[in-house]
Amino acid sequence: MIYRFKALALLIALSSSPALAQDYVIHVNGIVCEFCSLGVTKKVSKLPFIDHSKFDRGVQVEIENQLVTIAVKPDAELDKDALFAAIESGGYNPVEIFELTSDGERKAYQP
Amino acid sequence: MTRLLFALMLFVSSGADAHQPEMDMAPRWGGGYGFQTRVEHFDDVTTTWVEGVYTWDKSVRATFKLPYRDGELGDLILGLPLKKYVNDGPKTANWSITPSVQLPTGDRGEWDTGVSFSYSSETPSFYQLYDLYTWGDRTGLDINAGFAFPGKGSGTFALWDVSLLTSDQGDRVQTGPVFVYFKKNMMFRAEYKHLVYERDSDWEGGFFNIGIGFVY
Repeated sequence: MIYRFKALALLIALSSSPALAQDYVIHVNGIVCEFCSLGVTKKVSKLPFIDHSKFDRGVQVEIENQLVTIAVKPDAELDKDALFAAIESGGYNPVEIFELTSDGERKAYQP
Repeated sequence: MTRLLFALMLFVSSGADAHQPEMDMAPRWGGGYGFQTRVEHFDDVTTTWVEGVYTWDKSVRATFKLPYRDGELGDLILGLPLKKYVNDGPKTANWSITPSVQLPTGDRGEWDTGVSFSYSSETPSFYQLYDLYTWGDRTGLDINAGFAFPGKGSGTFALWDVSLLTSDQGDRVQTGPVFVYFKKNMMFRAEYKHLVYERDSDWEGGFFNIGIGFVY
C-alpha cells in the first residue's frame, strides 16, 4: 500500500513538474511586469514549435527573475532565432537561453 | 464664460496630464492595440473619455482621445508617442516624446497642438513616471511614483501622483493616491487628487478619475 502511494505521488510530481527535457528558459532583460509582458506570451505562443498544452499557451513569465520558460513540442525543434525575434517583437531583449533538464537543472543550450 | 474657459482647459489639458498606465506600459509589442474608457470629475465638470492606442513597434505608437461631456462630443486628440526603451536586467525604462494635435470635431471645436516629454522606469516592485507637457499657454508636470505588488496573472500598483499646472487661467498643484489593478489584459485605475495650491483661479475641490482598459 505504501509503495503504491509513493508511486502515485511520484507520478503526480513528475506529471506536474515544468522541468521536462523539452522546456527552455530564456533570460530576458527588463521583463518586470506581467501586464507589459503580455506581448511576449502573445508573440512566442504563435511560434509553430511551442507546445500550447503547457503553461499559458506554452509560455510562462517569471518577472521576479526576468525569466521566460517555454514548452517545445516533443516532435519539434527549437528555432532560437525565431524565438528571440518574437521576444524582441514583444518589446523586450532576450539575453541567453538554457535547456531545462528532467530534474529541473539549467544547462547551456546547444542547438 | 469662466466655466467655458475651464471646460476648454479641461478638454485640452486632460489628455496630457491624466495618465493611464495602459498608454505608457502597454501595449509595447508590435501590432498591439488597446482601448479604455475613464470618467473624470473636477471643478463640477464631469468628462468621459474614450481612448485608444496602437503600437507599430515598441518605439512608435499612435493614440486617440475623445471626450464626452454634457451630451456632447468634444475635440478629438491624436498623439504620436515616440519612445526609446532601455531594458537593463531587472529594470525597464523609456524616454518618450509625444507630439499631439487636437482636431476641432466638437461643437466648440478648435485646433490646438501640444507636446510632452516623459520618462518612466519600472522594476518588479517600483514604478515611476515623469511627464512635462505643454498645450498652448498651459505647461504642466505630472509625476507618478510608487510600489508594484505582482501576483500570478494579476497585479496591483499603489502610486502617488503630483500634478503641477501653470496657465493663463491660473496655477495649481494637485496631489493624491492612485490605485491600479490589472488581471491578464485588463487594467483598472482609480485616483483622487486634492487641490493643495491654486493661484489666480476659481478652481476648487478634488479631482476624481476612474477608468478601465483592455489591451490585445
